[in-house]
Amino acid sequence: MASVGEALPDRAKAARRQQWWYKAEKKALPYLLLAPLIILLVAFLAFPFVSLFYYGLHKVDLSGLATYSGLRNFVILFNEDRFRQNLVATFIYLLGNLAISVPLAYAAAILISTNRRGVGALRTVFLIPWVLAPIVTAVLFKTLMNPSSGPVTMLLKMILGHPFYLTLTEGGARLFIILHAAWRSFPLMMLLIAAGMTGIPVELYESAKVDGAGVWSQFKYITLPLTRTALFSAVLLISVYTIQDAEGVYALTQGGPAYGTEVTGVRLFKEAFMYFNIGLASAVGIVLILLSMILIIFYLRILGQGERA
Amino acid sequence: MQRTRLLFVWFGVIFITILIIFPVYWGVRTSLVPNANLSIIPRPLTWEHYRALFQAGYMNNIKNSLFVTLGTILVTLPIAVLAGYALARFDFWGKQYSVVILLLPLLPAIAVLVPLILYMRNLGIYNTLYSVILASAVFALPYSTWMIRGFMLSIPREIEEAALIDGCGPFAALFKIAIPLAAPGLIAVAIFTFISAWNNYLFSFAFTTKRALQVVPAALLGFISAWGENYGGMNAGAVVAMLPVLIFFLIFQKWFVQGMLAGSGK
Repeated sequence: MASVGEALPDRAKAARRQQWWYKAEKKALPYLLLAPLIILLVAFLAFPFVSLFYYGLHKVDLSGLATYSGLRNFVILFNEDRFRQNLVATFIYLLGNLAISVPLAYAAAILISTNRRGVGALRTVFLIPWVLAPIVTAVLFKTLMNPSSGPVTMLLKMILGHPFYLTLTEGGARLFIILHAAWRSFPLMMLLIAAGMTGIPVELYESAKVDGAGVWSQFKYITLPLTRTALFSAVLLISVYTIQDAEGVYALTQGGPAYGTEVTGVRLFKEAFMYFNIGLASAVGIVLILLSMILIIFYLRILGQGERA
Repeated sequence: MQRTRLLFVWFGVIFITILIIFPVYWGVRTSLVPNANLSIIPRPLTWEHYRALFQAGYMNNIKNSLFVTLGTILVTLPIAVLAGYALARFDFWGKQYSVVILLLPLLPAIAVLVPLILYMRNLGIYNTLYSVILASAVFALPYSTWMIRGFMLSIPREIEEAALIDGCGPFAALFKIAIPLAAPGLIAVAIFTFISAWNNYLFSFAFTTKRALQVVPAALLGFISAWGENYGGMNAGAVVAMLPVLIFFLIFQKWFVQGMLAGSGK
């Protein structure tokens, strides 16, 4: 296709380029094209972020009237047992999710990278949990584990010999939201890890096999080190989504029993949309943003490393 | 050696497939049998739960959802096309910071919603579906723009350059050449926007308080707390909510996956 351009006399191209209006137009044009995007993002994302910090330092009533209250919202928050529990629940939720979804994602990534007929098409099936709405998967999981007729409850009763209700105890409810999150998270991780695997030369595995390396050592010495960047970015993306999650957890447990599964996102959800406590909700939001920022900075550094490598 | 390997592969495939399919299957099954029926193959079949669902006004929720999703696509797509084209084709000051666009959706949407409630009040669109459309579009825009940028980059630049030299303006080059060539990308973005807007209940929950304005996921959340043990009804609602998403995803999954990989920093 390049030949079309080259076929024209260079003189004509040069003349066209020298026209001043063409240059000016070309300079302004990208900004013009970007303007709608930037206006919307600034007005409805950047400004609200700034307001969030403003409201965090204020007492806000329902009409939107704000009176300055300094760090009062944060003092209230950090002196609360409930908020400490929120942070602990978030941390457990995050670690539990990663502990289950990372191995599952690796297994799935290896399976969809195996070039056997039919196995590749499975990628589509493996991605299903990721496209379903959190509210939909929450209904599916509540049904599976409902105390009276859930098949998982039945199975646990058969194995353990006594009933074990996932939704009624704190530990059980935490496991419940973790299983749900892991089920939803692993497909995206699988996709990123599998994309990382396509870069590994097949010869590496072949020579490893010649040297007598088993499946496990092939994984440990070839697959794992060479997909490290992909793994890190997958883990960080999922971590960011997990610490912010409110939709899934709220639908599953409403934060209960007591505050056992009230993760930071759910606390924010309740303060903002149910108690209309805008000041305190903003303070929780700021904590959530700071936590996300720490993860995002890690993410950026890893993306930077990946580009250099 | 080769044999055991194959065995492992098949075991893994079957295990993960069951892990994914079973919850979905059980939900569909539960929506089709009377409550407290535990048969694995749904029998006797009943449409009772679906009938009750639509008697509870689910059709209205579906209409709201369609209005919000189509509105979101109509707002998102043109803006993302223009911006994605600019990022893919022009060199300009500020471009080096464009990765910020990609980082924005990593910040917690739920935190931004708090001040946005007050913004929507001031704009006079609180408690209307327009506020839901606006918020959905703003949160869909960063990825959509980045996906389109990726698709535009994969189209050889020379085709447009040739057109420009032949006296075609930059807008004509965009509409007559770049957009038709990037059509699969536009479809991917439309599907992506559809799925994320259709699935979301946060915006509807935050900006509307009237039941008549609830979208499908918000209504489903209401059923969870109102219907308690009526798992048949809940699952009928869930099946209706997941059906369009599954259909679109299964048809367009190749483009969709490409777009997502393009959107996640690749």
